[in-house]
Amino acid sequence: MARHSAHGKATSSKPSDHVVARAIDLTKIYGDADNQVIALNHVNVEFERGQMTAIMGPSGSGKSTLMHCMAGLDQPTSGKVIVEGLEVSAMNQRQLTKLRREQIGFIFQSFNLVPTLSAEENILLPLQIAKKPIDRAWFDQVVHVVGLEQRLKHRPSQLSGGQQQRVACARAMMARPSVIFADEPTGNLDSHSSREVLGFLKQSVKDYGQSIVMVTHDPRAASYADRVLVLADGNITQDLRHPSYDQILEVFADEGEETHA
Amino acid sequence: MIRIGLRDARAHFGRFVMSIIAIALGVSFVVGSFCFREMMNNQVDQMMASNSDADVYVRGNKEQKENSAASFGGASDSGSGSASSSSDSTSTESKQYNRIDVSLVDTLNGIAGVDTAEAVYEVNGLVLVGKDDNAVSTMGGVTVGMGLAKGTWRSAKLTHGRWAQSKDEIALHTFAAESAGLKVGDTTKIVYPDGPHDVRVVGIFSTASSQAGAIIIGLNADTAKKYFEQQTGQVGTARYLTVYGSAAGGQPLTVEQQQTLADRINHALPSDAHAVAITGQSVRDDNAASTKKALGFIQPLILIFAIIALFVGSFIITNTFSMIVRESMRGYALLRSIGASPIQVFVTVAVQAILLGLVGSGIGIGLGWIMVKGIVALMANMGTPMTSAVDPSVSDMLIGLLVGVLVTFIGASLPARRAATAPPIQAMNETVNPEKPVWPRGIIGTLMVVLGAAAWLLCWRIAWANDAGVAVSPWTGFNDWIKTLGTGWPLGIGAGLVVIGVIVLAPALVTPTSAVLGWIPAHVFTVTGRLATRNLSRSKRRTANTAAALFVGVAIVSCLGVVAASAKASVAGIVDSGLKSDFSAMSVSSGQIPDEAITAIKKTAGVGTVSRSRMLMGVTYGSGDDATAAMTFAEQPSLFTKVFAPVTNSGDANKALRNGELVVGLQVAKDNGWKVGDTVKVNGRQVVIDKAATAKAQEDYQAQVKAKIDGLTSEAQRLLASGDVSGAQAKSAEAQQAAEDAKNVDPATLVKTKTEVTHVSMKVGAIIENSIYRSMVLMNDDAAGKIANQYTMFTIMLFINAKQGTDVAALKTRLIKAVKPYYVVNVQDRDEFKSTMSSMVDQILLVLYALLALSIVIAIFGIVNTLALSVSERTKEIGLLRAIGTSRAQVRGMLGIEAAIIAVFGTILGMVVGVAAGVVIRAVYQANGLSALSIPWNQLGVFLVLAILVGLVASVSPASRALKQPVLDAVASE
Repeated sequence: MARHSAHGKATSSKPSDHVVARAIDLTKIYGDADNQVIALNHVNVEFERGQMTAIMGPSGSGKSTLMHCMAGLDQPTSGKVIVEGLEVSAMNQRQLTKLRREQIGFIFQSFNLVPTLSAEENILLPLQIAKKPIDRAWFDQVVHVVGLEQRLKHRPSQLSGGQQQRVACARAMMARPSVIFADEPTGNLDSHSSREVLGFLKQSVKDYGQSIVMVTHDPRAASYADRVLVLADGNITQDLRHPSYDQILEVFADEGEETHA
Repeated sequence: MIRIGLRDARAHFGRFVMSIIAIALGVSFVVGSFCFREMMNNQVDQMMASNSDADVYVRGNKEQKENSAASFGGASDSGSGSASSSSDSTSTESKQYNRIDVSLVDTLNGIAGVDTAEAVYEVNGLVLVGKDDNAVSTMGGVTVGMGLAKGTWRSAKLTHGRWAQSKDEIALHTFAAESAGLKVGDTTKIVYPDGPHDVRVVGIFSTASSQAGAIIIGLNADTAKKYFEQQTGQVGTARYLTVYGSAAGGQPLTVEQQQTLADRINHALPSDAHAVAITGQSVRDDNAASTKKALGFIQPLILIFAIIALFVGSFIITNTFSMIVRESMRGYALLRSIGASPIQVFVTVAVQAILLGLVGSGIGIGLGWIMVKGIVALMANMGTPMTSAVDPSVSDMLIGLLVGVLVTFIGASLPARRAATAPPIQAMNETVNPEKPVWPRGIIGTLMVVLGAAAWLLCWRIAWANDAGVAVSPWTGFNDWIKTLGTGWPLGIGAGLVVIGVIVLAPALVTPTSAVLGWIPAHVFTVTGRLATRNLSRSKRRTANTAAALFVGVAIVSCLGVVAASAKASVAGIVDSGLKSDFSAMSVSSGQIPDEAITAIKKTAGVGTVSRSRMLMGVTYGSGDDATAAMTFAEQPSLFTKVFAPVTNSGDANKALRNGELVVGLQVAKDNGWKVGDTVKVNGRQVVIDKAATAKAQEDYQAQVKAKIDGLTSEAQRLLASGDVSGAQAKSAEAQQAAEDAKNVDPATLVKTKTEVTHVSMKVGAIIENSIYRSMVLMNDDAAGKIANQYTMFTIMLFINAKQGTDVAALKTRLIKAVKPYYVVNVQDRDEFKSTMSSMVDQILLVLYALLALSIVIAIFGIVNTLALSVSERTKEIGLLRAIGTSRAQVRGMLGIEAAIIAVFGTILGMVVGVAAGVVIRAVYQANGLSALSIPWNQLGVFLVLAILVGLVASVSPASRALKQPVLDAVASE
């Protein structure tokens, strides 16, 4: 495994236009002095524009922590997070809000939608919160792609889990953020719905050049990504470009041994 | 399991603070109200025991229906609108009996076992001038003069000096002496009904019970009798004679002894005396019961707020425990999965609730006690000292404790049940079960409101029918039943139904109302406004319950607000539309204006005309048993042109008054069925000097003095003979003194008077409906002179017009100076005349605002708590909103709008119901002086703004709690 980890550390130098977000020497330690848990251990990574990057790893590997730090949801203990040239790790609440409004989209595993709002209202919510003008043509296009034309007036409780996640995808797309962070977007879905959602995410990368960072432990989901990062014990252990499903499974088989050891 | 519960309780203590406060408040009101009632009852009993302390009372044996307003004190001016409407109902509670002849005293004194029998005369409306040369007045009430001598009032104990022996002397009750700053030997003034008089304080007496702020003056018995006769027009008769028995050697008799004595007296009373003896105990019991009944409204009033507080309290507790249970669901699931039974889980939650209830009620009992202490201190401070104990009894405390624990337990039982019955798997599940539909509540609530409104309509109809003198409905059986019902019952039942109906209905109103109320915020703050509005409809019951606290409070306050404003407007209306004079003058003691004061006013430079309203005592209309009493006034013929513009119902009021015909108020005309042109028999009273009796009294007195001097002289001679020179000198000096005293005695005290009844037939010339004249009969001075004389007519009010071109402000200063020596005369200009009523109303409003403040505090608790719960339920949602770019300010704004809408929702419901109730009450009591309807829109507007502020304030802490939660914790899935 050691030979794969070298790649992750190598790409830490100067910023360039094809990088949408990067972590520099990112460290996150939970707990107090007696009971330290190192979630991220000096991680350096760049996420490229117009790509779907999957972050994989077993429970406790730090994959979610990495994503949360990248998205400004969590404060790193040390190191820097930079999104579109802005230093996220040094931002205050007001700047973070601005960042979320302009640069970042989110898709969560569950509870993605505001239950009191209809599908359409949920999709438009980020724009309205930010008081941005609504691009109707773009809205129609997004809705068409996710296939929700007939369900726009429905409340989340009237939608299936897959439909809900597609609404969440559409919402994340709507503001055309620099990068969408998706946290186990298919975690609660059956395989059919998962395929639909992943297909839509893939399409948005291909057709509209959307950058997506997705945390998942589902190898099938990861296989949709352009690049797969594998974390273990707070370090990036593998960085696979366009891996096949079998390659990913192989990695997991190894990890299984590692974590159980 | 109990141990786990106790440990949890400690861990959640911070959460419980609000619940404890709510429970404590509720319990304190419950305990306080019981405590207060007991204290008042005690006080009443104490006062009865010392003030009506005779062993036997002799009174008339025939019950009489007599218009209480016809007796003295009916000098009600225009201002008695709402005040009298409430007191009317209570004053009719005590039964009236025929008057009996005072000469029975002699018969009574001759009966074995009677120590003293006496008629005690009370004189109302006196004014005592204190050491600082100002009239002594207290919040507590009246100044009463009583004819007191040794033995007339057993409970009154002389502590210094002696009883008054002439008009120039007074004895003072300790409280009166204290309030006036006077002591034995001081000279001061007392304003008798006919003017101020210099008097010397010759004695101080005390009573076992405090007199609730009354200023009691012991007058010379004859003086008291004279003024009593003047005031009431009743000469030689009394309602009661008091009898003290001798069986217990000067101590109060036991109930059996009282009964024996009463039986003996009844046996001895001549049958033509129409009198009966009853035991003192039964009189005290009756009086105490009716007084307690009159005071009985206070406790329910306090209890209403106790119920609001407890309702909100139980509701806060439900919310708090819902939060705790939701957060501890995993723990309960764990307990269940390792084998704990649902009951055991229930117990862990219930233990916390009971602990909370105990702490809350404990604090509440203390608070209640402090509250009553505070009220008593406040009353003492305002001049109404209470001597009864204020400590809560054990039963009060138990009731408080029980109520507190029960309410807490009920509040917590639903969440506890949820904790106990939820399957372990569901513990992870965040899904909120959809609410049960609210339409059944909508239907039931609407039904209740409709029924309540129907009761109000009925009430209105009854009042209107009474007023117009027509039947309530075409069905006679129904009419009879309605008659026994009166207006109070339908009004109260209607109010109850409407209030409860609205509370039941409220959840069904949440969605439509928040859509309407949310319209503005939804358009001003597009996203947050819309989110807030929708959030309210998520748990409609909770939203409605939260609003209910404010609803009830605001309903009460706005109802009374409408009544108060209408009362003000009615008076202002009278003044604006009717009163033509520049000034009015009346006596602050509600008594007569002394003739000297009238002369002084007339002599004041710049005064044009002075019209006086004189009340005729004891005038009745009709003959025999059908005679009815009515307040009758003698006026100048120019009354309707110079002082008050008449609102004529029929006839020509101005012409009638000038022609010496009767001008009858609408109410009186209706009661008696009079029409213009009818001829009515008017029975008046004139007090004239009984020459024969006077001569006899003077003779008797001379004889008495002579006998005394003779006795002393012979005693002196006897002492001289036995060689005691100094003793003899003292005795002869005493004899000389007695002769001197006899010379100085006021011959007026020896003048005996008698009442002659006069009968005159007069024509009803006009019927008028000015609200101040509704229950009066007016005639001109000449006509009045035929049925009454100066002893039975008293000037109650003066209306003063300035001379043309006089500076009215300067004239006012001069007038006030002119009447200063008479202490009791109060000169008011038009605005002040209006504002006497207004300031009284404003004082009532002040109390209302205190109540409102209280319900606002409770409501804030409720809103804070509801928001806290809904924030805790929506942690994920708020996290999501934050994650997709909602700023902190927007989250605060959203919660602020939610809270404000809840508050406004409750306030508007309260206002609608309260104003409706106020309008109904106003209409029902229209005849009692509430002639104008006025809705205090400004006030209501202030309430509304206040409601918005309350909501915003209430949202601050839950919003902070919501924002303290890191976005990550809220959205992280696990």
